[in-house]
Amino acid sequence: MVRKKYSWKQIFLAAGIILLFLGNLTFYIWYQSESIQLGYKIHELEIKVEQLKEEIKSLEAKKESLLSLERVDRLAREKLNLQDPMPGQIIFEEQISK
Amino acid sequence: MKIIGQKGTQIFGQNRKKNRLFLTFLLFWFLIIILRLVDLQVIQHKKLKAEVIEQSQDLITILPTRGTIYDRQGKILARSLPAASVFFSPSREEPLEKQIQNIYRLRNLLQLNETDLKKITSSIEKRKRFTWIKRKIPLEVAEQIKKLKLTGIYLLEENRRFYPQGQLAAHILGGVNIDDYGLAGVEYLYNSVLRGEEGQQLIMKDARRKEYFIETIKETRPGKDLYLTIDSTVQFLAEKELQQAVEKFKASWGTVIISIPQTGEILALANYPTYDPNDFPPPENLMVNQAIQHTYEPGSTAKLVTVAAARELANISLNTYYDCSQGAIILGGTTVRDHVRMGILSFPEVFIHSSNVGSIKIAEIIGEENLYRMFKTFKFGEKTGIDLPGEESGIIHPLEKWRRTSLRVAIGYEISATPIQILRTMNVYASGGFLVKPRITLNKPQPIRSVIEAGIEVSNDYPRILSPRTVSEVVNLILKPVVEKGTGQEASIDGYEIAGKTGTAQKFDPYLKSYSYSRHIASFVGFAPADNPVISMIVVIDEPQGPLQYGGQVAAPVFREIARKVLLYLHQAPTRLSEKMIIAGKKEKNAGVTD
Repeated sequence: MVRKKYSWKQIFLAAGIILLFLGNLTFYIWYQSESIQLGYKIHELEIKVEQLKEEIKSLEAKKESLLSLERVDRLAREKLNLQDPMPGQIIFEEQISK
Repeated sequence: MKIIGQKGTQIFGQNRKKNRLFLTFLLFWFLIIILRLVDLQVIQHKKLKAEVIEQSQDLITILPTRGTIYDRQGKILARSLPAASVFFSPSREEPLEKQIQNIYRLRNLLQLNETDLKKITSSIEKRKRFTWIKRKIPLEVAEQIKKLKLTGIYLLEENRRFYPQGQLAAHILGGVNIDDYGLAGVEYLYNSVLRGEEGQQLIMKDARRKEYFIETIKETRPGKDLYLTIDSTVQFLAEKELQQAVEKFKASWGTVIISIPQTGEILALANYPTYDPNDFPPPENLMVNQAIQHTYEPGSTAKLVTVAAARELANISLNTYYDCSQGAIILGGTTVRDHVRMGILSFPEVFIHSSNVGSIKIAEIIGEENLYRMFKTFKFGEKTGIDLPGEESGIIHPLEKWRRTSLRVAIGYEISATPIQILRTMNVYASGGFLVKPRITLNKPQPIRSVIEAGIEVSNDYPRILSPRTVSEVVNLILKPVVEKGTGQEASIDGYEIAGKTGTAQKFDPYLKSYSYSRHIASFVGFAPADNPVISMIVVIDEPQGPLQYGGQVAAPVFREIARKVLLYLHQAPTRLSEKMIIAGKKEKNAGVTD
């Protein structure tokens, strides 16, 4: 049996191809892992956006609850001692000018 | 050579044996691998694939957020807020007894009583894979549970329906069950609109089960928002005054409906007793929306139809006089009475003073057929078509089933109607003769003041059922005087002109098989200002106790108090100047100008 001898040119070419392949593979793995990392971040931010939206909705509802007419009316009467005006206690400026 | 050859043959023979053994071993090894592969890829394929998917993917259902319900100004009446539900699913990591103990650790946090715990434990002991522990808990409590990291205890994101105004407009809103399905009111009627559609998402997970990619398989369609014709302030004023009246007169219940007569938009619909939709469902008796579901003999408010029949169909002159001095009249063997003897009354006076005797005499001239025709024209015995569930249609017997006493229909007996039907009847006069359909929803927010400022007109979609002449005569000669000098004087408001009609109906006692002298339904229906109406209103109080029983005594003052406040709120200045007015109030256009 005679062992085949490779020329330096062939060896460099093969090494180049292997390096190119490994380079591509490394880039691909890096790209994939970066995509996944970004996926994590986007996902976390999306969740946060949703949570904030929900929080806004909750706060709006809470505000409505605090401003409910029944509560405002009760506080006005009990804490500020306000009461309804008597029928004759209200006139409109329009009428004064008449 | 021979020796060598012999030796070589021996060596080759030994090698061949080893090779064969090695090959057999390899073959056997490969066979085992192949068999294992067949086992994994074919026999256990389904199970293993499911396990892989379970580890790396999650297909989750995204519940849509139920639409928000607003009043006509854009105030929130109902909104879905995020909440969490706690459930138990047995884990292999710990013995079941220990996992059950975990539930007991949540006892105080979730306010679970003995019955709840027994129910949960028995469900778990039946080896159920899923058991609810508590649903719709606040997110803060859910956070605390999460931190405990208890085996077998899981949290699920859900929504809970929140009604920030509490009891306000409860019978309009209705309520939802624990699964957010509408069960009453607009929550029920518009459930499909409010609910939206569920979506699905595929969540990809890495080896550490951390989510890194989400793919939406089916988009969630959130529920649509709903705008009501209700104005929160008007609703609040109506509810407050109604509650006071029902409590004052120790009545069974009361109802108030306020509408814009030209458009049929309901500004307020209040019932008392009522409930808080946040604690839905309430006791069954509180669920009834009396305004549209309670039918009753309307009494004198039905004379609004009698007077229309007299003028439009029988052409009875306004100058005709009727002898009501006896205070009673025999009709088909039964006696119809007035509450007092009234003497000789003109046609308008019969209605201004609500004489039953005079009304029966007029009805006899009108005739059964014309009377029936006019009631049918006003659509008695038919639902108004308001967009609320469970509306009753009331009863008017067909003409062929009328008895000798059935002319009492003219005074509101032997006929039944709902409060909303009586309000619609009054709206015919307030709108200039049109039969306007009441409604409760809007396409977009429309603050009431801007609607009034823009001018309210009747839509061409509604049929005219009374001539402008009849409307004008009835309003000016009957409905205004009812409040000025008739039975509805308690409804008059200083500075404003009001049109209205009182009603007092004796309730039928099924045990005595006759009308009761002590149990009444008192009502008042009217509109204001009389010449250019912006609101119409009906007040019905059932079985007021005490000396005051009539519509003019019980319901008219409620009308007055609500109308006075609502007119001020709507910036409707009084048309008549009163010298008593001492404190200056300003219309909005002058706001900021100080004396």
